[in-house]
Amino acid sequence: MVLRAALAAALLVASGSPVQEARTAGGTIRGRVDVRRAAASSEGRPAVTDLGHHGPRDTPDRRRGVVYLEEAPLAAFEAPAAGRAVLDQRNEAFVPYVLAVTVGSTVDFPNSDRVYHNVFSLSKPKRFDLGRYPKGRSRSVRFDRPGVVRVFCEIHSHMNAFILVFAHRYFAATDAEGRYRIEGVPPGTYTLAVWNDGSVRARREVRVAAAGDVAEQDFTVE
Amino acid sequence: MRPRGGARLYSRDRVATPVPRVRSIVALAIAALGVCLAAAGAQAGEPVSLLGGRVRLGGEVSGTIAPEDLGWFNYSDYETSSLRLFRVDLMAEARLASFASVLFDVRSDNLEAPRVYALYIRLRPWAGRELDLQAGLVPPVFGAFPRRRYAYDNPLPSLPLAYQYLTNLREDAVPSRSEELVVQRGRGWLVHYPVGSTEPGPGLPLVNAERWDAGVQLRLGREPLSLALAVTQGTLCYPRVRDDNDGKQVSGRLAWTPSPSLVAGVSGAVGEFLAREVQDVIPASARGTYRQRAAGLDLQWSYGYWIVRAETVWSRFTLPTLDATRIEEPLDALGLFAEARYKLRPGLYAAARAERLAFTEIPSAVGLWTWDAPVTRVEAGAGWTPRRHVLVKASWQHNWRDGGTVKENDLVAGQVVLWF
Repeated sequence: MVLRAALAAALLVASGSPVQEARTAGGTIRGRVDVRRAAASSEGRPAVTDLGHHGPRDTPDRRRGVVYLEEAPLAAFEAPAAGRAVLDQRNEAFVPYVLAVTVGSTVDFPNSDRVYHNVFSLSKPKRFDLGRYPKGRSRSVRFDRPGVVRVFCEIHSHMNAFILVFAHRYFAATDAEGRYRIEGVPPGTYTLAVWNDGSVRARREVRVAAAGDVAEQDFTVE
Repeated sequence: MRPRGGARLYSRDRVATPVPRVRSIVALAIAALGVCLAAAGAQAGEPVSLLGGRVRLGGEVSGTIAPEDLGWFNYSDYETSSLRLFRVDLMAEARLASFASVLFDVRSDNLEAPRVYALYIRLRPWAGRELDLQAGLVPPVFGAFPRRRYAYDNPLPSLPLAYQYLTNLREDAVPSRSEELVVQRGRGWLVHYPVGSTEPGPGLPLVNAERWDAGVQLRLGREPLSLALAVTQGTLCYPRVRDDNDGKQVSGRLAWTPSPSLVAGVSGAVGEFLAREVQDVIPASARGTYRQRAAGLDLQWSYGYWIVRAETVWSRFTLPTLDATRIEEPLDALGLFAEARYKLRPGLYAAARAERLAFTEIPSAVGLWTWDAPVTRVEAGAGWTPRRHVLVKASWQHNWRDGGTVKENDLVAGQVVLWF
């Protein structure tokens, strides 16, 4: 909880540097996050009351993470680029397991399964409950406050996901190989943080020397 | 008022197993472990798993408080009221192979000796077929409520009457005349009869949701149609680990799920419920097979923020006919309830349940009476989830009974559930 709170606070912090044009003429920070720690179990509670085995279900890719600047240029906070994202419910798993969006973004939660799901969150940045709806239907939630939102399904205890809501746009989710790329970063020195499976796992200082510069930064998460 | 100091004596289940100190220590250890695991699991937001996920632990710690239930409406045995209960429940699932698991559930009520609630093996012999076998102390196939018995799955603190209320029938004692049965109307919490065990003891519910039966079961198919069948040692009203009458119960449920919003089930069960000790003391001419037959219908509809459930249980008991006025006709009972839950906002819901437990009339020297006193109950309440693994419930319950010393009462109950 302390780490989550720290992350939520960090997302709100501006560097205090002079207003700059953040969207253009920036540099790039890229690299790879190598997650070596064992992923926690993705199974649910013991199904003691069931009358048989459950069907096959997908396992979320818990090695995915998010790399972000803990401090960002002030301009980035003044006009966060609100967008739209999708957190699917597919084969009794949330896909993707980690979603990163900017404040003001709307996330759609389609149900792609034959069974009901009931998406909800009791996280402080956004409490919501979408109720039950069948396959082919979707509900949406707008995220107006930065922070970490833990998402669950009321019906399937093994289903959970994270939505990281940033007050700026300097973040990137890692791909299947752990690679990330943050573009348009104004020149400066920043603290780069790696978030994986519920916690900030590493921090590293990184410098973007000039517009058009590419700063490489790899991480190993034990 | 209940007899003081004699409660444990009258509890048939515990007469043979007095609680020595070591069991109390085990119960306390389980309680402490349960609380610690619940806290850890709640903090992590994940079930506790061991051996690379091959063993998973889960649990539930619940505390329910209410004023004393002087009408014994909520007692599930002589000592235990479902509204005055501290329960620690630990469960585990060990995956032996892709086709085999062992499941286990142990619980302690009010820090008393822990009791194994479930212990069975689950097999799927053919990976590509929807066929599962379970053997051991298995979950009941009859009805729907017993498989969501855990406090987290129950929107209100109490249990439905059909699955908890103690009637005036016993499996180890019978009345010799209908008058002796009628005079025990509304006294299911402490019944005594002259034939069989003469010790006073609690009666039987229509379906006992507080225990599971030992046997084997088979499930075939999945949605939209599935069938579950079981052969077990005891009966719905008196599940058992060891057989006490050489009779087996056959039960089954056919479930139909035409859409995710609707689940309908039809259940049936038949089994010999009268213990051998009764058969041994009745005249040879009266010896026979005395069964509980039951049929059930359950429905669940849900959409959006609503869940609506309804369930009915019809049960027929046969008793030996001994002296006049003889109990010639089978004793029928009908329990039905409907409940609804509506989410008012994230983490907060309102719920209500209405139910009725009715009995058929039998002739006696004192007139035509139902063989037990009919009961009606309404309950309304709310549940609040401040954190994902914590559920706080509060409810008001009103009971009416057409018999017994206390014919009507109101109870306000609160319950805190910590699960992981």
